[in-house]
Amino acid sequence: MSISFRTVSHLNEDQRDALAEIVNIGMGQAGAALAQVLGEFVILSVPRIRLVDSQAVPETLAELVGAETTVSAIRQPFHNHLHGEAIVVYDEHGCRDLADIMGHDECTDERVEQELLLDIGNILAGASLKGVGEQLQAEITFSPPSILATHVPVERLLDPEALDWSYSLLIEVNFTLEARRFKGHLLIMLSEDSIDTLVRDIDAFLESL
Amino acid sequence: MATKVLVVDDSAMSRKMMIRSLPEGWDVEVSQAANGKEALEAYHAGKAEVMFLDLTMPIMDGYQTLEVLQKEGLDCFVIVVSADVQPEAEERVKKLGAMAFIKKPVNTEKVTEILKEYGIL
Repeated sequence: MSISFRTVSHLNEDQRDALAEIVNIGMGQAGAALAQVLGEFVILSVPRIRLVDSQAVPETLAELVGAETTVSAIRQPFHNHLHGEAIVVYDEHGCRDLADIMGHDECTDERVEQELLLDIGNILAGASLKGVGEQLQAEITFSPPSILATHVPVERLLDPEALDWSYSLLIEVNFTLEARRFKGHLLIMLSEDSIDTLVRDIDAFLESL
Repeated sequence: MATKVLVVDDSAMSRKMMIRSLPEGWDVEVSQAANGKEALEAYHAGKAEVMFLDLTMPIMDGYQTLEVLQKEGLDCFVIVVSADVQPEAEERVKKLGAMAFIKKPVNTEKVTEILKEYGIL
């Protein structure tokens, strides 16, 4: 669609930089919330931003998370000023480590596993979206989280046909725990129409500096 | 003489926000660096009496930068400016020689308060 291409070409260096920094601050708050719950030191990555045709979302996820990784994930849709999905992706160590930290013997019980993934995912997604919204002075409301998939290859995590927009903005930050193999990725996926809104917000933010 | 201030952050916008948050009337000569490696180069070139240092950066992050500075015998007043707001992050950087920790987003009030607290201003 011509509109989305116009948007894509308009995400210039300054806007990209501002977006990364806004996300960085939001994710920092998410990291602190995670550290508090787990009682462990969390290492945050530098945000990565990808603007892609929705058909290319699976391969982009694989690039960001690591090809052929087996993952479990939760999704939390958000709407209002911005519309999209927050997705928290855990690799196979993620669940085991979480269970261990939270005092469960094993991660064999599916119900326990799903609860953990949802609880931790909710903390990460909620804190980061709140942080991003605060800086953009935008109201973002979110639906409760749900399980997206468990133990699937990352390439099969999201079906592009299920996305009702043709262009996506993907923002990724990952969280690792220093003393463990745990790795969680938080992805914010914005719909095509929200990309325009976000770009306007960023411009307003940059102008206010 | 103007105080030599080095602002280290991988985000150009963040550096701009930091520079704009410096108190008005403070006589400074500002340099910028986009990562720890550049920061050390600027520091060795004598451009950093006061350093505002981000933590999460590519190439060389804030922790690594502090480690090198500490090994070399830190001769600079380092204020960490970070989006990583874990209490342990603050403890760690202070152990590595940082004097103060400012949570992002920065503003003039926070920066002024810290500078006054340590008698720089």
